[in-house]
Amino acid sequence: MTDAGTAGVAISLVLVAVAVVISWRNGLRLESDLAVATARAIVQLSVVALVITFVFENEIFAVVVVALMLAAATWTSAGRLKGIPRARSLALFAIASGAIVALTVLFGAGVFDLEARFVIPIAGMLIGNCMTGVSVAGSRVRDEITDKTLEIEARLALGVRAKDALRPYIRRAATTALIPVIDTTKTVGLITLPGAFTGMLIAGASPADAARVQLVVLFMLLGAVAIAGMATTMLVTRMFVGPGERIVTPVN
Amino acid sequence: MSTAFAEGKVTAIVGPSGAGKTSLLRCINRLEEPHEGRVLLDGTDTRTLDPTELRRRVGMIFQTPVLFEGGVRANLTYGLDHVSEGALEAGLASAGLATTFLERESPALSVGQAQRVCIARALVRDPEALLLDEPTSALDFKAAARIEDLLLSLAEGGLTVILVTHNLDQAQRVADRAVLLVEGRVVAEGSPDEVADAWPEGAA
Repeated sequence: MTDAGTAGVAISLVLVAVAVVISWRNGLRLESDLAVATARAIVQLSVVALVITFVFENEIFAVVVVALMLAAATWTSAGRLKGIPRARSLALFAIASGAIVALTVLFGAGVFDLEARFVIPIAGMLIGNCMTGVSVAGSRVRDEITDKTLEIEARLALGVRAKDALRPYIRRAATTALIPVIDTTKTVGLITLPGAFTGMLIAGASPADAARVQLVVLFMLLGAVAIAGMATTMLVTRMFVGPGERIVTPVN
Repeated sequence: MSTAFAEGKVTAIVGPSGAGKTSLLRCINRLEEPHEGRVLLDGTDTRTLDPTELRRRVGMIFQTPVLFEGGVRANLTYGLDHVSEGALEAGLASAGLATTFLERESPALSVGQAQRVCIARALVRDPEALLLDEPTSALDFKAAARIEDLLLSLAEGGLTVILVTHNLDQAQRVADRAVLLVEGRVVAEGSPDEVADAWPEGAA
């Protein structure tokens, strides 16, 4: 059984205290960083627990929470996509496309019950992972096009359509965006025990159940990030293709 | 401005830097669009042509040779559905390269050879005209001389050659006609020698 009551939290803080002492004794000056991180974690998770408790009792607010997550993810991603025209709508659309397809399939098919208890963590994982995928794919396409303008124009000058001229760079960007989630899926259980699996084991579920849930999580993330990443590359490409089979170079 | 480029001749666009030589060249194959006016190819307004068709009919060579991934063969056939072995060999030959270059890898080439592979790549598309933007500025003297000779023989074979160069001597060596651009205007055109006299005082 697990005993993570207030006492458990206090005991785990002893470990942080040990770290603080070591830092202080050795003049590493990590004490304030450690203290701030610890305090932030306590405040943030307490607030989240309160919010989620509230939402569990008022299910309709789950929609609000998901919308806020999506807004925060869009804002973060758009910040990484500077120089791309209409970055914000692009990020919103790409993140939402990946997350919504996955949510619709999982909840539509009844893999999870449509309750706030499931919707919020699952939407959070999906939106968070899609956000990273969109940021990486989008900024990579932008950088490739900026760096390789001459190469791309040499392709265009040979009478190749703009979308074909851009293909090698887009392929590279899409690969980069998908590497983390593909590698996580490939090495699952070999290198680390992922979050859902570990969490369920700690909470007392059987390893088989934990593995099944983890597989669902992995596949939904793989699918959602792939959709979001590819939507991004397609949309970014469109932003950079001008009329007359030309490329419009990103402005910074 | 208004000017014309004669078929099967070498025309040099000369002028100080910032005169708009490259922009003029890029308007011909529509890598840039003129704000006003039109570009005619054999009497056809280029805006009515599919840009991809236009760019196959009018090849372009850049200041630094740009080769894509893969070897020479992959570069020559890039973007083409089917191309005969004979056409590849003919393209190489017209660019002054032996057939053995077909199997060469791009990193193994000198800059001069790479530039000639770029020319061969354009020629494989059987263009009517070739646009060159300072094609020898990245090359040493000998490699530059070989490109100049190549341009002369290509024009002799009927290709229309349009050469942007800041180098008046080069224009005098290879061009039948020169157009002098200063600040976006044609200030002189005629034989390279005539144009040389109109070169603005003190301009680089």
